[in-house]
Amino acid sequence: MTNLLTRSMLLTLALMLPLLLSTGAALAQFDDPAPGLDPASASPLYRGEELLQTGSYAAAAEIFQQADGLDRNPGVIGASRALAAMGNLQEAMRVCENLIDDEHADFPLVSTQLAEVKRMAGESAEALAILESVIDGLGARGTPERAPVRTLVQYAGLLQFVGRKPESYVLLREAVDRYDNGLVFSSQDVAMVALASWMLDRFHDANSLFQEATRADPRNLEAHVLWGDLFLEKYNEGEAERSYADALEINGRYTPALVGMAKITGDERALQRALAINPNSVPAMEILGRILQRSGREEEAAGHFSRALNLNPEALGVLSALASEAAMEERMTDYALHAAQVEAFSPNNPIFLADVAEHFGGNYRFTEAVEYARASIEADPQYWRGYTLLGSNLIRLGEEAEGRANLEIGFENDPFNVLSSNLLTVFDTLEEYATLESEHFLVHMSPRDARILWPYMEVMLEEAWDRLVAKWDFEPEYPVLIEVFENTQDFAVRSVGLPDIGPLVGICFGKVITLISPDTLSANWQEIAWHEFSHVITLQMTRNRIPRWLSEGISVWEEREGRPYWGRRQGLDLVRAAQNNQYLPISELNAAFSGARSNADLGFAYFQSYLVVDYIEETYGFEKLRELVVQYGLIKEDSERFRKVFDVSMNQFDAGFRNWIDRRVAEINVHVHQEDLPDEGEGHGHGIRENSSAILSELYNNASLKQYMRTRLEQNPRDFMAHLQLGIVLFKEESFFEARAALEAAHKLLPSYSGYPSPALVMSQIYEREGNREEQHRWLEILLENLQHDDQSALILAEAALERTDFERAEYYIDRALQVDPYESDVHALRARLADETGNSPLAVTEYEILLELEVSDPVEARTSLAEAYMRNDQPAAAKQQVLEALETAPSYLRAQQVLLQSLEGSPASEEN
Amino acid sequence: MSVHRILLAGAALTCALAALPAQAQLPRVLLFLAFLAVQPVLAQLPLESDYFLEAPDSVKHAVIVVGPSVGEENISQFRQWGYSLHDILVRDYGYSTDTITLLHDPDEAGPNPGNRLDGTSDRAGIEEAFAALLSRVSDGDQVTVYLIGHGSGEGEEAKFNIIGPDMTGAEFREILDRFERQDMVVINTTSASYGFSTFLSSEGRVVISATRSPSEKFDPVFSRYFIEALDGRAGDLDKNNRVSMLEAFNYAKANVEQWYEEQGRLASEHAGLDDNGDSRFSLGPGMDDPDGRLAEIAYIDAAAPGVANGTENLSGQALELKTRMQQLERSVFILRGRKSDYLEQDYWRRMEELLVDLARTTARLIELNPELNP
Repeated sequence: MTNLLTRSMLLTLALMLPLLLSTGAALAQFDDPAPGLDPASASPLYRGEELLQTGSYAAAAEIFQQADGLDRNPGVIGASRALAAMGNLQEAMRVCENLIDDEHADFPLVSTQLAEVKRMAGESAEALAILESVIDGLGARGTPERAPVRTLVQYAGLLQFVGRKPESYVLLREAVDRYDNGLVFSSQDVAMVALASWMLDRFHDANSLFQEATRADPRNLEAHVLWGDLFLEKYNEGEAERSYADALEINGRYTPALVGMAKITGDERALQRALAINPNSVPAMEILGRILQRSGREEEAAGHFSRALNLNPEALGVLSALASEAAMEERMTDYALHAAQVEAFSPNNPIFLADVAEHFGGNYRFTEAVEYARASIEADPQYWRGYTLLGSNLIRLGEEAEGRANLEIGFENDPFNVLSSNLLTVFDTLEEYATLESEHFLVHMSPRDARILWPYMEVMLEEAWDRLVAKWDFEPEYPVLIEVFENTQDFAVRSVGLPDIGPLVGICFGKVITLISPDTLSANWQEIAWHEFSHVITLQMTRNRIPRWLSEGISVWEEREGRPYWGRRQGLDLVRAAQNNQYLPISELNAAFSGARSNADLGFAYFQSYLVVDYIEETYGFEKLRELVVQYGLIKEDSERFRKVFDVSMNQFDAGFRNWIDRRVAEINVHVHQEDLPDEGEGHGHGIRENSSAILSELYNNASLKQYMRTRLEQNPRDFMAHLQLGIVLFKEESFFEARAALEAAHKLLPSYSGYPSPALVMSQIYEREGNREEQHRWLEILLENLQHDDQSALILAEAALERTDFERAEYYIDRALQVDPYESDVHALRARLADETGNSPLAVTEYEILLELEVSDPVEARTSLAEAYMRNDQPAAAKQQVLEALETAPSYLRAQQVLLQSLEGSPASEEN
Repeated sequence: MSVHRILLAGAALTCALAALPAQAQLPRVLLFLAFLAVQPVLAQLPLESDYFLEAPDSVKHAVIVVGPSVGEENISQFRQWGYSLHDILVRDYGYSTDTITLLHDPDEAGPNPGNRLDGTSDRAGIEEAFAALLSRVSDGDQVTVYLIGHGSGEGEEAKFNIIGPDMTGAEFREILDRFERQDMVVINTTSASYGFSTFLSSEGRVVISATRSPSEKFDPVFSRYFIEALDGRAGDLDKNNRVSMLEAFNYAKANVEQWYEEQGRLASEHAGLDDNGDSRFSLGPGMDDPDGRLAEIAYIDAAAPGVANGTENLSGQALELKTRMQQLERSVFILRGRKSDYLEQDYWRRMEELLVDLARTTARLIELNPELNP
């Protein structure tokens, strides 16, 4: 908690600092024209700046070059910047070189601009020489007070880039001192001091100074983008996005802002736009290449990387992306080549190693991520991002103590880092959680979940272990760590470091699973846990190398194997996707996950992956599926794997899959009307999927809807949704006889349909209205054959079974209800009743304990019932304590008094002690 | 009424210690020190005061004021709450139409008010109804006022919305203060009830407010659960077949919290209770709180028949047992009130001795009078 407070206080302070430090307007770099002056007749400098600000780079370059006299130097700098913004680096250098004679020191700012362009072109050695010559020429080495702030900071940055970090500090401090002494005025220079503070790890100051710079000149695009970059480095995407958006609002053609935005959103179009403006933008190529790389479009990515390196052989980000991919694929010669390239211009670069670590982590290869993060820290023990990466990846391997220690180091030195701060906050939550152990699992969950959920989860997890380990003939490392979070934000942060994770409800990292507590879900939590544990098997079998599509496909497929009523019944979606030609080749399936633009896209990626696994198992058998997983543990091309396992090419496999889909479509034999919307669900298929068409039909007039559906049925009698919607309308009109006919027809067409509402559900409601309990229950049983997320129907059936003393069915439906909502007292009351009626006193004790936990209105009654259960289970001492607590509140409660006296009679000395 | 309120802390302590088992009693010197030490605690207990004493001939009266509303849903809800409360008091708690005064907006009273309605929920109606009640009540009677409807405003502007000009807390207090020789309970279930309720606080009066902050201005669901607590004595936490104001409050509060949790909504109401007259409403009145002592003994009904109550037709031996039971119960309450003074083990040892004694005494009474076994 202390940490939490400290962190929040620091962040508050950080937010306040800019306000405290704001010192009013700094001087703009170029003067405004005199009031009333026609802009057309304004100085070339002013007009050039206006054009540069609005993204008219070509015109700006031309106008700037018309500046003369005292304006000549800034004109050249402006022209060079405009040319660089269009990607014309050679010309950008040339205009500077044309001005400079031999002595760079005579033209410090123009030379600095030249050095910056040279750095963009991968000529860091030359850039360094120029800046050295400026500083030397000004007689400023060691006492650089005469060098411009920009020169100092750019030189220092370059020194850090080439591995001469200690030398950079004196320059950076000089820049900061100059600000502290009130000698820095312009917004541009304040932004440079901000950059200097950033490089000195003074992140609070940097933040404040960027704010000051952007306040002094809201049109300072460079400051906006650098500020965004600072936020992005600290994983604060929201603030970063705001900074980039501010820049783009001023100049929609400012490529650094477009690139920054794409880093957050993954928007390829923003990058294509950036490249249209500046075809030689190396950062745009790098980010585009990374996005393509993530989407499995390696060839396209390689093209962009190659172009980028041609333009800038020192593009660190590109080299780290290539090295990361090479290391992932265990092409260690290639990795060494890229590492050597970096080493040549930037020895011992921690950023390169951290990038590789991040790439591994992002691809679930946490063991390797940890190795590279350690190497990054070794290269520079003051590279705090390295500690954050090390910590965050260690905890995904279940190494919580060491992970936390590293996150603490990262946070203490870089309190702006949202990732470290968030993860540490979750540790505060975890400290209040209970730790539970079973044979193969170590579980952290809230004390409430420990009391209510754990008794059921433990049994279910061990069953999953026994069955899946035997089936896959693979024993994962154990104990598997499971963390169950009551708070969705904690779950998200623990899983990905940030508080928004979309519709996910469980995540597996290989040795660690994170789950949302079923208390905040309305889905079958057992199915989710089973799904995630299946990932443990496939991830560990392949040392986390299995592609996401296959791991997800198997986990979804295993749901159905876990219980016959689990899994996805999306017959309509299967047919609809075939009609829409939506199925992707296997080679593009991974991209369907990483490139998903909506929940529906992501949901379909899960669904197709499941279908592919189903196809493999049905066509080739389970052993081949297992072989394929084993193959993913080896380094080779997909085509080799598929050839080895199935003896077909990827194309042949795709064709086989598509034929199989066509056969399934023919078997399902249902007409899907193009107007009908697909069912919508949350949590990646875990949870009830709502029948959008039926829900929308509520908006229509009954008579016209009936007419329309009947017309549809005349056109195609196998139109499932028309039968269903007709049935629903007739039910609403209480035309039960006709409604039944329509709903039965729908049910016959697609018996496994499990959307909400389904034919079985409406049928049960009709019979309920008619008072026919037997038929109502029969349809509820049909409903539950295909629907795993409905606890209320299960409760009705459990109670009915108890009434007719069918204890086996009662137990079955009670279990079904518990799979959805273990926090519902009705289900525990039924289970306690079942236990009492079957003489199962240990079970009765468990249930009454849970009922006490859940009771809010009558704890005295709940304690007395529990005490009675203890007595029946030969636990008189426990019974006595419970009943004393009941009587403490209600001393005259006769029933409790009687249990107290019984407990005294039945207290064996041993238990009393 | 306040004139005859005399604290008898010393006497109560003696009585309490006398009821403790012999081995639990302290030596005389220590006893004096113990008296000094526990006096502040005991001073908070209602056991020494004569508020809510429930003399055998005292009568319980209820005044239900249902304010006007807008929209059929709200109107219907308030009406239902008012009528349900009326009917439950008659059905389960020994009230009659003579002891209940129900004031309602005649335009919103629905088609079948039966003989429930006694007047209109406007200023004149309220003043007339309370004046009439004042003429009927006797010393020591209990008057419980239920306010259902909307409230508004803060501080001195806090009002209960009635037909015509609304009524401020200060104005309503004037009306209530006339009942100085009766025990008084006010249950204010309106929106923005807090500001209004603070004006009603008074020594010896139990005031329950559905909200505990001026910012809680949305219609509360507290009323629904308060009535549920009374219905079938669902709120009878201590199983004595009676529902105290504290029990009903706790029942409603717990269920309101659960309701908001189930709805996945941030609770926009937090009920509070004040019964020590300081206008500070406690969110968790009870054992370790300044509020709750009076509310614990302020019952909605007269004593119900059963083992714990009723002394009619008992033999001398049975009466002795009954007296012993009452002393033991009182000792349990006192020990419970001093829980924090003991080490946990010691507390439970003492509590067990008292409770076992009570259970055995009760069992003997039932042996003698099997008809007392409910």
